[in-house]
Amino acid sequence: ALPLLNSPSVEGDTIKVYVRVRPPSEGTVLTDGDQGLCLSVLSSNTIRLHSKPEPKIFTFDYVANMETTQESVFSSVAKNIVESCMNGYNGTIFAYGQTGSGKTFTMMGPSDSDNFTHSLRGVIPRSFEYLFFLIEREKEKAGNGKSFLCKCSFIEIYNEQIFDLLDTASAKQMKKGVFVDGAVEQVLSSAAEAYQVLTMGWRNRPTSMNRESSRSHAVFTITVESMEKNNEVVNIRSSLLNLVDLAGSERQKDTHAEGLRLKEAGNINRSLSCLGQVITALVDVGNGKQRHICYRDSKLTFLLRDSLGGNAKTCIIANVHPGSRCFGETLSTLNFAQRAKLIKNKAVVNEDTQGNVS
Amino acid sequence: MAAAGSVGGADWAVVCDKFRTARTLSSVESRKDPETEPYRSKYSARALLQEVKQLLSAAEEGGEARLLAVRRAVLEYELGVNHTDTEELSAGEEHLQRCTQLLEPHRLSPDCVSLYIQAQNNLGILWSERDEIKTAQTYLESAEALYNQYMKEDGNPPLDPSEHFMAEEEKLTDQERSKRFEKAYTHTLYYLAQVYQHLEMIEKAAQYCHTTLKRQLEYCGYYPVEWALNAATLSQYYLSKQCFMESRHCLAAASVIFSQAGQVPSTEDSEAEQDQQDLRQRKAEIARCWIKYCLNLLQSCALSFQDNVGELDPDRQLELKAQRKKEEDEKENGRKKAVLFGTSDIYDSVLAMEEKVSSVYPLDFQEAREIFLVGQNYVQEAKEFFQVDGYVTDHIEIVQDHSALFKVLAFFEEDYERRCKMHKRRIDMLEPLYADLNPQYYLLISRQLQFELADTYYEMMDLKVAIGNRLEELDSHTIKKINSLAQLAIKYYELFLDSLRNPDKVFPEKLEEDVLRPAMVAKFHIARLYGKLITSDSKKQLENMQTSLEYYTFLVDYCEKYPDAVHAVETELELSKEMVGLLPTRMERLRAKLCPFI
Repeated sequence: ALPLLNSPSVEGDTIKVYVRVRPPSEGTVLTDGDQGLCLSVLSSNTIRLHSKPEPKIFTFDYVANMETTQESVFSSVAKNIVESCMNGYNGTIFAYGQTGSGKTFTMMGPSDSDNFTHSLRGVIPRSFEYLFFLIEREKEKAGNGKSFLCKCSFIEIYNEQIFDLLDTASAKQMKKGVFVDGAVEQVLSSAAEAYQVLTMGWRNRPTSMNRESSRSHAVFTITVESMEKNNEVVNIRSSLLNLVDLAGSERQKDTHAEGLRLKEAGNINRSLSCLGQVITALVDVGNGKQRHICYRDSKLTFLLRDSLGGNAKTCIIANVHPGSRCFGETLSTLNFAQRAKLIKNKAVVNEDTQGNVS
Repeated sequence: MAAAGSVGGADWAVVCDKFRTARTLSSVESRKDPETEPYRSKYSARALLQEVKQLLSAAEEGGEARLLAVRRAVLEYELGVNHTDTEELSAGEEHLQRCTQLLEPHRLSPDCVSLYIQAQNNLGILWSERDEIKTAQTYLESAEALYNQYMKEDGNPPLDPSEHFMAEEEKLTDQERSKRFEKAYTHTLYYLAQVYQHLEMIEKAAQYCHTTLKRQLEYCGYYPVEWALNAATLSQYYLSKQCFMESRHCLAAASVIFSQAGQVPSTEDSEAEQDQQDLRQRKAEIARCWIKYCLNLLQSCALSFQDNVGELDPDRQLELKAQRKKEEDEKENGRKKAVLFGTSDIYDSVLAMEEKVSSVYPLDFQEAREIFLVGQNYVQEAKEFFQVDGYVTDHIEIVQDHSALFKVLAFFEEDYERRCKMHKRRIDMLEPLYADLNPQYYLLISRQLQFELADTYYEMMDLKVAIGNRLEELDSHTIKKINSLAQLAIKYYELFLDSLRNPDKVFPEKLEEDVLRPAMVAKFHIARLYGKLITSDSKKQLENMQTSLEYYTFLVDYCEKYPDAVHAVETELELSKEMVGLLPTRMERLRAKLCPFI
């Protein structure tokens, strides 16, 4: 019998999961054990949810309490991924959680600041800085032997459609890699420039009536290419860094949302729309037999296929709000994060050696 | 029945009007509520319902206790749903409980049964939202039992809950009543399907999905495209359970319903107007489910026909042929087990669709080939949409299935030459795909292709050796062929092994669990291939033996170092140990022949 080559979901490195608890809004004071608080951080990797009758304890790669600074989030989550990126690995950082749990604050920073030097700036601007700092350092070390090219694209996925925040686009898969057809790629030469593109794109997000900003995913991608010459042999490495601000996880329509969504939309003539999900779940627990599932994943999973069980190092930041009112959403966020830990990735260096050793 | 005139001093028509407005607010207006006030219409509806409730309370003395109780139950029901809609579960639960209490004594009467079932449905939803699936299950199962009891004992189309606040002349027709009642029950089953899935009662969940689909067809509450996809997906569940007849039935129904999709007048929902591109994709998806059907049927048959070296066992074949003759007389028995999608107007089309492909094991090459050809047709259909540019992974998966179809067909083929040609077809479709693929983005697929190509060459070489063994003497053409196939197999196995190396080109000290077996098999096959290379040059022969020994030794040493690995490669390890014992002696003998004078 032929040995089976496993599907991507069981490959190599697991996805790192980092949970961040945001502080409650100004003016509301919550004390532990108080009615107002639904969780406590027990240690730097465990969190307790005050569920009834039994409290639930979750373990993650890292749990950041309310006092955790932006700098410390960056150091423990993104630093390593940016470094790997310099070494030719693809990397992806997701922020996940309900609206108001602090995703955008974590990834971008305070909403009212266009200021790149703001001490509260988030993971994305800090990643830019660190990436260009590393590039400069490499250049100094290698003299003329090594050159770099950085490009970025910025897209938004809303309602299964892709909008290029730097222009317009659609996603396609090509033999040479997934790419977004027609997406504008901008060459970057400094962190400040990257930040400029980011804020410009962020402002470009179309707003219209009945369009909820909390229902869109934003994906900022940086391609880092490096070329190194070693007597006649040219070594080219290229890697992708995806920084993703996911849509609010509440009332998720996305694939694999947690929680029961039994309810039929009020409309009398609607078909039973969840049935497909139920059947898919039945087929999913199949016993490794060959089968095809019709419901293709959403555009987001398609685009980030390489990050989810593909060739990349991936980290998910699960953001939660400690307030009791958010208990249900917090529970489902933590459940999602728990499941994400089971996904394994296999990262390899993207390398291409050209030249002739004569 | 309904007392017209005044209710607590209010005009009955006014009461009905308030009620109707509340329902419209809830179901229609609420969809236009702004994001900042998501429940505006729901709250307005609630206020109206409370008003109607007060008017009713004022009419308490008006006699007709039962009529009042039922009307009150309708309001409690509406208020219950309204509160759960606005995420006030406890209040919602209270209202719904009050509704069922009011109805308890009358729940089997035609004017209450539908309302009672819908209240139970909503209590089921409510408890599921609290993540108390077991409690949800009890409500939904009791709704199911009530429906069955009512249909057995009465069965007349019952009143719809909304009719309790309607003027006599607006009352619904029996047909409409029946339709709404059946829809409520379909929802019960649909919620139960989800509950069973969450409780991991997989078989039961599948059965309820099946029944839900079936009822959707009977009562026409579905989108053809969505229905077809659901049925096709369900077919894949049956495949994983090896229920080929049920699987085929789902697929045939899916294809028939899908073909109607273009002819449906569109409903008010935009989903019914899926654009052409989308339809083409769905069609291709269903084709892919058919491919898997043909593939699984052939593979699982091949598995049951295998002797201990994986070849077709003719005795077993004869045995099964006899068995099948016996079974053909009882053929209809299996049918009764399966749930059928049997509305009369599509039944014949589904049957005709089913007849195009068998659902029982093929017993000889001819029968296997028929299934293969159906699968191959669906491969072409799926590829029309999933072209390589734009759908790389989908396209490659389809080609991999096509290759697997050839592989399993070859199993049934007795003629070695023709079998070899089938494997050649696999090479021809996989090799160009592999050559074009960027392993940087498609690491996993690349590995799968490397491995499959290696394995196919390996198999072809074995066949050529078997053909050669029948000849008096190996001619140079056959020798060349054997050697070149072996070299190609080695090349692809090595490529696969190289893909496991780290950035510094070092082979991993300890293999990851998921690549352990493939890597070991690759090593083992390479060892065997070096042993098969034919050469008249004894020096070369010695070198090949040496290489072969190195690869066998790798397996033995690795398993000694990591005993956990033994379970993955028991047979291969045993043979490797044997070879590690034998080869040095053989090599000694060969060396002695080479230089007899020491």
